[in-house]
Amino acid sequence: MVCEVILWVIFFIFNMTLLALDFYQIVCLSDLEADYMNLYESSSRINAVIVPEFVVHGLFCSLFLVTAHWFMFLLMLPIAYYNTMLFIKRQHLIDVTEVFRFLKAEKKYRVIKLSFYLVLLVLVIFRFVLSMLNSIVDEDDGVHGSWWY
Amino acid sequence: METMGTKNPNRGNFHQRPSPPPFAAVSQSTTSFLSSGPVVGSEAPAFRPTPLSAPQTTRPFLSSGPMVGSEASGFRPTQTGKYDDPSIPPPPSSYAPPSVGPFQRFPTPQFPSTAQVVFPCNSALGQPVFSPPIRPPAGHVPSPPSSLHPQPQVPYVPMGSPPQSINHVPSSMNVPPSSLDPSFSAPRTTLESSQSAFPGYPSMPSKVVTQPPPVQSTPFATRQGGYGPPPPATSSPFLAHQGGYVPRPPVAAPLGVYSREQMPHQGSGPQMGAVQGLTEDFSSLSLASVPGTTIDQGFDSKALPRPLDGDVEPKSFAEMYPMNCSSRYLRLTTSAIPNSQSLVSRWHLPLGAVVCPLAEAPDGEEVPIVNFAPTGIVRCRRCRTYVNPYVTFTDGGRKWRCNICALLNDVSGDYFAHLDASGRRVDLNERPELSKGSVEFIAPAEYMVRPPMPPRYFFLIDVSISAVRSGMLEVVAQTIKSCLDKLPGCPRTQIGFITFDSTIHFYNMKSSLTQPQMMVVSDLDDIFVPLPDDLLVNLSESRTVVDAFLDSLSSMFQDNVNVESAFGPALKAAFMVMGQLGGKLLIFQNTLPSLGVGRLRLRGDDLRVYGTDKEHVLRIPEDPFYKQMAADCTKCQIAVDVYAFSDKYTDIASLGTLAKYTGGQVYYYPSFHSAIHKEKLRHELARDLTRETAWEAVMRIRCGKGVRFTSYHGNFMLRSTDLLALPAVDCDKAYAMQLNLEETLLTTQTVYFQVALLYTSSSGERRIRVHTAAAPVVADLGEMYRQADTGSIVSLFCRLAIEKTLSYKLEEARNSVQQRIVKALREYRNLYAVQHRLVGRMIYPETLKFLPLYGLALCKSIALRGGYADAQLDERCAAGHAMMTLPVKRLLKLLYPNLVRIDEYLVKASSMADEFNISRLPLMADSLDSRGLYVYDDGFRFVIWFGKMLSPDIAMNLLREDFATDFSKNQVTLCENDSEMSRKMMAVIKKFREIDPYIYQLCHLVRQGEQPREGYFLLGNLVEDQTGGMSGYLDWILQMHRQLQQNA
Repeated sequence: MVCEVILWVIFFIFNMTLLALDFYQIVCLSDLEADYMNLYESSSRINAVIVPEFVVHGLFCSLFLVTAHWFMFLLMLPIAYYNTMLFIKRQHLIDVTEVFRFLKAEKKYRVIKLSFYLVLLVLVIFRFVLSMLNSIVDEDDGVHGSWWY
Repeated sequence: METMGTKNPNRGNFHQRPSPPPFAAVSQSTTSFLSSGPVVGSEAPAFRPTPLSAPQTTRPFLSSGPMVGSEASGFRPTQTGKYDDPSIPPPPSSYAPPSVGPFQRFPTPQFPSTAQVVFPCNSALGQPVFSPPIRPPAGHVPSPPSSLHPQPQVPYVPMGSPPQSINHVPSSMNVPPSSLDPSFSAPRTTLESSQSAFPGYPSMPSKVVTQPPPVQSTPFATRQGGYGPPPPATSSPFLAHQGGYVPRPPVAAPLGVYSREQMPHQGSGPQMGAVQGLTEDFSSLSLASVPGTTIDQGFDSKALPRPLDGDVEPKSFAEMYPMNCSSRYLRLTTSAIPNSQSLVSRWHLPLGAVVCPLAEAPDGEEVPIVNFAPTGIVRCRRCRTYVNPYVTFTDGGRKWRCNICALLNDVSGDYFAHLDASGRRVDLNERPELSKGSVEFIAPAEYMVRPPMPPRYFFLIDVSISAVRSGMLEVVAQTIKSCLDKLPGCPRTQIGFITFDSTIHFYNMKSSLTQPQMMVVSDLDDIFVPLPDDLLVNLSESRTVVDAFLDSLSSMFQDNVNVESAFGPALKAAFMVMGQLGGKLLIFQNTLPSLGVGRLRLRGDDLRVYGTDKEHVLRIPEDPFYKQMAADCTKCQIAVDVYAFSDKYTDIASLGTLAKYTGGQVYYYPSFHSAIHKEKLRHELARDLTRETAWEAVMRIRCGKGVRFTSYHGNFMLRSTDLLALPAVDCDKAYAMQLNLEETLLTTQTVYFQVALLYTSSSGERRIRVHTAAAPVVADLGEMYRQADTGSIVSLFCRLAIEKTLSYKLEEARNSVQQRIVKALREYRNLYAVQHRLVGRMIYPETLKFLPLYGLALCKSIALRGGYADAQLDERCAAGHAMMTLPVKRLLKLLYPNLVRIDEYLVKASSMADEFNISRLPLMADSLDSRGLYVYDDGFRFVIWFGKMLSPDIAMNLLREDFATDFSKNQVTLCENDSEMSRKMMAVIKKFREIDPYIYQLCHLVRQGEQPREGYFLLGNLVEDQTGGMSGYLDWILQMHRQLQQNA
């Protein structure tokens, strides 16, 4: 049961990373919108983290799959699929020449993603706490283990 | 007439008048006038508007829309007279009875002989005027304000006929609506009291309608002249609608016919009221004689409106605000800004502007240059607006109020001037920035991030085998050499060259050398620039070396057999050379880039892709390298002009991207051959090099609170949400933008726009060119239509449609154009149709009468037409790139080219070229007479069409060839020979070329019946005919009409 706790810690870290990456992009876009940052810098910064974000998301998703957390996996799947599609169509990067035309849409997309990750974070923390409780209960008496599940 | 009603409040505001007499009075008066039937005659009641309906004056049948429109515009100025001093805040628009207007101006019955004059010049006269002046007949007819003069063609139906004519109900329908009112109103009693209100009704004023002859005031008389005799009445119902389209409104007679046949349903009283009220200016096109039936054969397509006079700029706007910049620089799609979001959403056409900041001004109208050296440029502290004619000085001249954000700014000591009694600065006349809409400031050092750059020209020339074989290399070298003396900015001008095939060749042009040194770099993966300082050199210092290089360039590569093109790496190398300071990069590309980064592959010949979702991919750059390079170039102030020459596919879609985001231009010479295209290339390259160019520019357009520009269309890159980065700008580039309302309701009366272009001139001065314009805010959709500008609407449509083709199918882009036009017309129809029962008739605002045709022409333009087979992909993309930059006038000419018959002129003895007047013909095959010789001129090329039965003399004289020769071999050219006829022909061609000096128009000779050339050059471009699966003009109108009816 300890490994379950560790697993959830890892999930938590993944989730925080995604949140951070996403938030960073939103900040860059807002700066761009408010003219605090020029578009070359802003788009190169954003583009630098897009692929890492996709990779982290993919790992996160597959980790759920491998560890048989089906529900969480299904939750993650649509975004993973969407990311893959973008990547295949080569539309995942911000187009520096047309940034302003799509600024609103890009921002909206990232805000939605951010809120999704926040929801996910709540779930992850909840499960993390549960698993921790579980493992404590486990240690106390190994009989009524995982009645939660 | 809710339209009138709504309109009125604004007017009221303009006039800043105290609110007119209370509504109550009006209503009584109306009732009274209703009863006053006898005077009018038995039919009179028909015209009586019921109080409610009266305002909606528009005679539905009055097909003579054009006139009406013109009058409306004519009147605008009058109202604005007062308005133009923005400093006076207009009083709140608490103008009570807006709808009152129409009723009020009925003169008293006592003066039957007097004209029921509506004052043209209320505003001119000043508000207080009204009621009294109306009485005396003489008083009524104020001499028209000067603003009226320009529009003599105001359609006046001669109303001079004796009173009996009034009884002629039907005929009176024809009368321009506004005139209707007054004329009939004469009989009505008791209304005088309310007359004072009519100033609120500016559009009416010019219509002076007199019943009795004596009354005919001079203004009236003069007008009448314009109309000429009424056309013969025709019996066919179809003719009746003629009035609508014919440019010169042949108003009266046909209408009589109308009224009989078409208006039976009007017989009943109430409806008549509605009819009578018609004062709106629209044109109608009757497409069905009886509601429900469609006519196809019987309909006379000749009567459709055609822009045979070319682009007509809306005058009313300039007249209303005389301090606005010229429409050369800024054209709004409608000069009436809607005041609410809901109004915007009902205006289905684009709302925005087309800006051409450096448009060429005719002699005498150059933009004045102002130097604020000691004070610094006067700008608003908060919104950074530049001082302009619309700012107001207060507090004895110590403060000025920004017209855009209304902030009070201090006037610095150096700029201070006293105000005269009327609140104007005493030095107004010496300060062009306070009296002219366009002005150029000399920018001090704060406006520079670095010292102003010198003009820099860098040439990237393909020297592969095809470039040499086609003769391109030689022509380019010669042209550049001939232009060296004329390059702007001497002696600071810098110049440099790179040539490339499978390797990249740099040229050291250091002034100490006598011959250029060539350095070859063959490592394409890791480009390095040898001698980075001596590749781009000062022209005057290294002149001999540059000359030597250009002389030897073509011979150097004479025997080159290299077929590869390392375009991408060469571009990178050029970027590295120019990166520090920027400049203009001219790329001469002859083949598809085949080596190194940015190599492209053949695409676009797959027929199956068309019509699928992947179709648009062909029109966007294949390799992200091009977009990235374009972005980097803009960042470094490099403008890229692309000259493409290949006879095979060169992927203009990818290459053009470089020009698109750097403010450049694409020149495309398919199948370049120096024997044919030499002159063209020479002319265009020379113009590109020598025209006045603005360097390292940025442009921003500011506008008043509550309004915001949201999207921009053209060749540039956005540097921030509203800042256009333009590494190089010149007079041939225009930019379009759309605006939106930020607030749900605008409370201001006027919206100001200010275009500011900060640039470095070729002489090394940093300058700011500022164009300021004002436009009224209106609450009425009808007013927006009245102030619409077809030219800029079409320009915006065109850019939107081309952008749409980059992510959707061509089909969808065309549909969206059509749908938007239909929606706009439907909305317009809904404004009027209900009251007027315009079943079977298509109505459209006078200002937009050409919109359907231009929409059709746009859908048939090379960029948007058909599918795979209708235009080569490269040609399509090149046309798209060209259309994205064209100023309004040139775009309209491209869409609806001139077709002129010239054989009669040639044959006529002793006529000079100057005497040749261009009478344009409708663009359809029916215009072509097989005995004639025609010139088709779209501003980009001439097609000279020889009819089959053209007299052999003419052909012989012009061509020195037997007429039977095959033109398609391109061996037959039009060149001047010793015959008189040929000289005349060349003079005409030369004259045409001078009209459009931007491009060198090649002459393509086509003989009737010679396929496929005839189809390709001419028949396919006759937009009114049915071609390539697209409907003809008539069908298009019918199709639209049908769609209009479906959801009406």
